[in-house]
Amino acid sequence: MIGLREFSYTYGVAENSSLKNINLEIRKGELLLVTGHSGAGKTTLAFAIAGILHHENGGRIEGEIIFKTRDIRDFDGMKELSRHIGMVFDDAESQLIFTSVEEEIRSGLENRGHSEKEIIRRLEEVMELCEISHLKKRAPHTLSGGQKQKVALAATLALDTEVLILDEATAELDSKAVRRIFSILKQLKEAGKTIIIVDHNIEDFLEIGDRVVLLEKGKVKSIKSPANFAASSPVSRSVSPELAEQTMGTIHDRKLQDLRQKSQPVVSVKKLVHRYGEILALDGIDLEIYPGELIAILGENGSGKTTLVKHFNGLLRPYTGNVATKGLETSKAQINELVKHIGLVFQNPDNMLFEDTVEAEIAFGLNNIGVYGTEAADAITLSLELVNLKAKEKVFPRHLSRGERQRLAVACVIAMRPELIVLDEPTTGLDADESDRMMQLMRQLQQEGHTIIMVTHNLQIVKDYVERVIRMEAGKIVEDTVNREYAGSKNVSRDTSEAHVHERDYAIY
Amino acid sequence: MKEIMQYINRDSFLHSMNPLSKIVAVAGIIFLSVITTSSEVLALMVLGIFLASLKAGLQQELLRQLKLLIFLSLTMVILTIFTLKSGETIGYLIPPGIFTADGLVPITTGALDFGAVLSLRFFAMLFAFQLLVVTTKPSDLMKALLVIHIPVDYVLMFVIALRFIPSLQIEGQRIHEAQLARGYNPGKGLHGKVKSLKPLLVPLVANSLGRTKVLGLTMDMRGYRSRRSVESSRLVWNKTDFAALGFVTVMGAGIMLGSLI
Repeated sequence: MIGLREFSYTYGVAENSSLKNINLEIRKGELLLVTGHSGAGKTTLAFAIAGILHHENGGRIEGEIIFKTRDIRDFDGMKELSRHIGMVFDDAESQLIFTSVEEEIRSGLENRGHSEKEIIRRLEEVMELCEISHLKKRAPHTLSGGQKQKVALAATLALDTEVLILDEATAELDSKAVRRIFSILKQLKEAGKTIIIVDHNIEDFLEIGDRVVLLEKGKVKSIKSPANFAASSPVSRSVSPELAEQTMGTIHDRKLQDLRQKSQPVVSVKKLVHRYGEILALDGIDLEIYPGELIAILGENGSGKTTLVKHFNGLLRPYTGNVATKGLETSKAQINELVKHIGLVFQNPDNMLFEDTVEAEIAFGLNNIGVYGTEAADAITLSLELVNLKAKEKVFPRHLSRGERQRLAVACVIAMRPELIVLDEPTTGLDADESDRMMQLMRQLQQEGHTIIMVTHNLQIVKDYVERVIRMEAGKIVEDTVNREYAGSKNVSRDTSEAHVHERDYAIY
Repeated sequence: MKEIMQYINRDSFLHSMNPLSKIVAVAGIIFLSVITTSSEVLALMVLGIFLASLKAGLQQELLRQLKLLIFLSLTMVILTIFTLKSGETIGYLIPPGIFTADGLVPITTGALDFGAVLSLRFFAMLFAFQLLVVTTKPSDLMKALLVIHIPVDYVLMFVIALRFIPSLQIEGQRIHEAQLARGYNPGKGLHGKVKSLKPLLVPLVANSLGRTKVLGLTMDMRGYRSRRSVESSRLVWNKTDFAALGFVTVMGAGIMLGSLI
């Protein structure tokens, strides 16, 4: 049905081709999985199949793409192609163009010229299918990331095209929602639709996939059946729980006990209550975080985890109760003062990058706390080395890849040498390798003496690294335990014979 | 967070009006407010629009813009005082005795009147536009604009711009927090204030520009380019529409005649 023959593509401004000599035949009714690392060319391939490269982009094209026995070039633009191909892009926000979910889904239906009755029927049907009926009248800015993705998917499903392409369309969905998408896609496949799923992690869909295409540096590295693909994947890295407990369990406990006896907590929270207007966001939190810990704060959206950490650096002040960071009362201290002790890295690095070079970006934070000149230059060099971005000192920040921008965001914050580093969802949008690298970086920072807190809804990624897990639900801490699954043996060289912690003297700034 | 220019889901007589008649009425009001030079007529127009909002229970929306409007009006009036002198002089902006024996910059009745006209124009146009946007669903607004053959691209631009206002407000807040977490401390004074905008505006603008490709593709793939003309029978007309249009026409006729006399 769709054939790519010796297809190569180079973006207008690029030197290298993004896709090289792709040969791929996609059968009608096939569910194809396309995977690979960031930058491998997955999205470019998705655009190629949708006809976007031919009709919307400039750039150099070699080879051909045949869609339903016609050259894709011969179609009358996306106008005509959109009747056959529906695509869900990775940025959900940009696919919502109306001010209510209902309007959004209707828009495609109305353009098809259906009768009003038919439109209403399909609208209800697709909203039920995607479990968003209760969001009918809501405006897009009131939706969570996961809800936006469901709406974008629903709007495309409503078009009922014979080909459906999903490009990283499930990144922010929780496991329940992903299972729902799985069953929707299964139904569509049984109805004879041709589906192409592009994602750096296709594990959730292996069961319904027909083939898995692995892309590497723009080339097709392999095309395997899902079973073969799963078999040849890198072995799961978690060490068995028994081994973990034997080697690390006791040592870790001892270390934690030692810490509590010796040191002052880095952050001390007492009976913290926070309200957003009428809504109770934090319902009496008591918490102590000690130097050198590597902690995960888990919880679903709305559990209060982000609200909690925003109190640590003074972005939010307590409604009642008390928060002290390094002895400073956050309700009284200046944020500018508190950030010297706690660095908070938010989820989206694009919300903070604004300078012309990587260097200047890091200098911004340093200048803000009064560090200039050679002292600043040294700090910049050190932090770039830590995050492995030394070579990119003079690069324009927005030219970096997503993983690199995330590391830059961390560099901006660690350059100020805060004792405590808090990361909000540090691995969003990163593939497995990049996530790993980020986690290794955190481990390294801990060894340097920092205290690290990671706020996330996904334990899977952090469970191999963190020692302590705090679970939150509806504004309360429901669990605060030592991480039994912690597999310390995965680590870079770490002295396991003694429980010792570096406590760096932070009288620098 | 204040909701600016966003559709409010309610049941008012304005909501049940045909979007096309509202567009025509607003266009009429804008046109008339520009061609009339009488501050009394404009004041009546503004009063009329305000009364309509009262009836629809939406007066709060209009009153929210008051601060901005008063600021604009004062600016207008002061500018006119400097540039226009006609009629009687009733005072001086810089009173006598400070720099010169007589005062400087006379405040004339002509200038005050013209300044009032300019201000009231803003009031009328802004109030009317606001009521339009607050009581009309973007998709209906879009259909109405397409019926009068405004190109699809411009219509979509307008609708999407409105829909992104609250999203940009939220994003601006997030950017602000992220910068605060890096010790961002906007300086005092004018130079400081200007410099301090860069860390907030650059991410906001850059992020918005980054969205355009996917937005464009979405518009295409939903079928807006190949859209057949909307059946205008889909839009319903009723008495209020005729009343509103009639009212604007009568007002227009009155203004035209008034200026001829």
